Amino acid sequence: MSQALSNRPGLDFSLTPHDIKRRRVNQLALRIIQIAAIIAIVPLIAIVFVIASKGLPHLNLSFLVNGPLERPTGIVNAIQGSLVMTFVAIVAAAPVGIAGGIYLNEYASRNVARVGELLIDVMLGIPSILAGLFIYFAIVPILGHSGWAGASALTVLMIPVVMRTTQEVLRLVPAGLREASLALGVPQWKTTVFVTCRTAISGIMTGVVLAISRGLGETAPLLLTSQSSNDTAINLGQPMNAMTVVIYQNAGSSDPQVVATAWTTALVLFALALILNVAVRFKTVNNRIF
Amino acid sequence: MLEVPTYRRSRLSGELPFRILTLGSVLFSASVVVALVLVIMQKSQILWPVEAPLTFLTSSGWFGATDPSGVITAAFGAWPMIWGTLVTSLIGIAVAAPIGIFAAIYLVELAPKRIAALLTFLVEIVAAIPSVVVGLWALGELSPRLRDSIEWWIASSLGQFIPWLSEDPQQPSDTSVFRAGIVLAIMITPMVAAVSREVIRSVPQSLREGLVGMGATKWETIRLVILPTAKVGLFGAVLLAFGRAIGETIAVRLVIGMNITAVPTTLFQSGSSIAAQIAGAYGEASPIEKGALAGLGLSLFLLTMSLSLTVRLLMWRSANKMVARA
Repeated sequence: MSQALSNRPGLDFSLTPHDIKRRRVNQLALRIIQIAAIIAIVPLIAIVFVIASKGLPHLNLSFLVNGPLERPTGIVNAIQGSLVMTFVAIVAAAPVGIAGGIYLNEYASRNVARVGELLIDVMLGIPSILAGLFIYFAIVPILGHSGWAGASALTVLMIPVVMRTTQEVLRLVPAGLREASLALGVPQWKTTVFVTCRTAISGIMTGVVLAISRGLGETAPLLLTSQSSNDTAINLGQPMNAMTVVIYQNAGSSDPQVVATAWTTALVLFALALILNVAVRFKTVNNRIF
Repeated sequence: MLEVPTYRRSRLSGELPFRILTLGSVLFSASVVVALVLVIMQKSQILWPVEAPLTFLTSSGWFGATDPSGVITAAFGAWPMIWGTLVTSLIGIAVAAPIGIFAAIYLVELAPKRIAALLTFLVEIVAAIPSVVVGLWALGELSPRLRDSIEWWIASSLGQFIPWLSEDPQQPSDTSVFRAGIVLAIMITPMVAAVSREVIRSVPQSLREGLVGMGATKWETIRLVILPTAKVGLFGAVLLAFGRAIGETIAVRLVIGMNITAVPTTLFQSGSSIAAQIAGAYGEASPIEKGALAGLGLSLFLLTMSLSLTVRLLMWRSANKMVARA
């Protein structure tokens, strides 16, 4: 069959040298692309393995519940500090971010929405160290190095995360839902709260959880604002420790025991971040729209 | 005349407060940004009589003192830090851009569905690693290995001809500009890959089918159609990652060292970056030094803001809306 076809003029199916070259180039290029994908992922996997192998041997209950001055030493004050400051920050940032996202998507005119998007871009682009520097100059002189200062720095960083996510998920809510509600005579604000936001609630929560995990992972702004302390009492008016700060301060030590503390803290922090991310994944998979 | 029942009037009455509340949230966020700029500008005021802005940006040195009579003697230069920020970020993006974009092409165009899903999941998980943990790993594990392998190879081969690639004239230390760049590359590659993936995904399927229909190989489809179509979006992805690299503080601080008074003569020497310097020096800072830190912060803000505005403009110009997701 192919013999008969290729005998006819103009229908030659045999590979010319040019075709063979194209095939070789193709194979080579695809191999390079594959290798690039592997290179991209290897260091990250390596980090996870090193965290596990260096952190696990020292992880035990007393590490989680003891203070840094007790024997055996622990990081309970850092865990408390991270959680408390992140909690305060998200309590402040979530309402602002959600309400702002609602305004930009439901009420703002096209041009205002564009300016709002620009605002979110600029805010998201602010390096975390600048948020720290801002609070260091603006709030630390008044409240001193304190948990409040740390929480306000985190708030600045969390607001745009929540706002961007809220705006994006509200955009995905079908207009028909809003129209149906409005046609029944429901005022627009009730439509927004009880129909639009309710439909998008798991997407909005995703934004909140993203912001929480950003807060838990920040170091630089906390160095400038809440600094660190060995006190195990929860007092937002005083300097507070955070897990990230513990890792930073212990990382460069020449004492292997201190570096081990850094690794174990990193393991605890990573486990927390992982739980949050997986929780978000399951939430988002189980919802119809998002 | 229809009469509005009272219960309906009360239901409508929530409209205005709700609008005020939501608009207020937007305005509050805007005022935070404005306050951030103003406060940092105000704190930098003390510096400008001593160092003119242009000399501050282009000179070197980090010294300031106030003698008892109140006379300020100071020499502050941001150039070594600006140099360090730009060079480490450029090294980072030079490595991360090709690898990240290729990885994205692999995920969208080549990988079997299951592998793509697995890889995406893995990248999402490792993206949750805080930067201080990456810094810890880089300082303890990566840095010594890079020093004894890649850095040593480059220094002993290329370094003989190119001065800024030669060996550190002092004792090779735990920290170097080059290593900070590599750490940045590792940190921003997932970001480049994630944004590029969205961009490449948004290339219309019909374009691919057109090329396949003409007998193009996979690589020809990628080179002739996908990359040109996604060009603007990919550029946006790279710029976003560049902005992130410029602002990255802690991981860089741990591996770059604290050489703040002069521009390093080779890439394998310790240096500093704007963000790292702010994080490292605020502690025992005198008022004039705080002013200098504010000056550094201001230049960092201008750098990152011009980047994010460029990305937004690019996005508005091209129909490609995907970059915004990052």
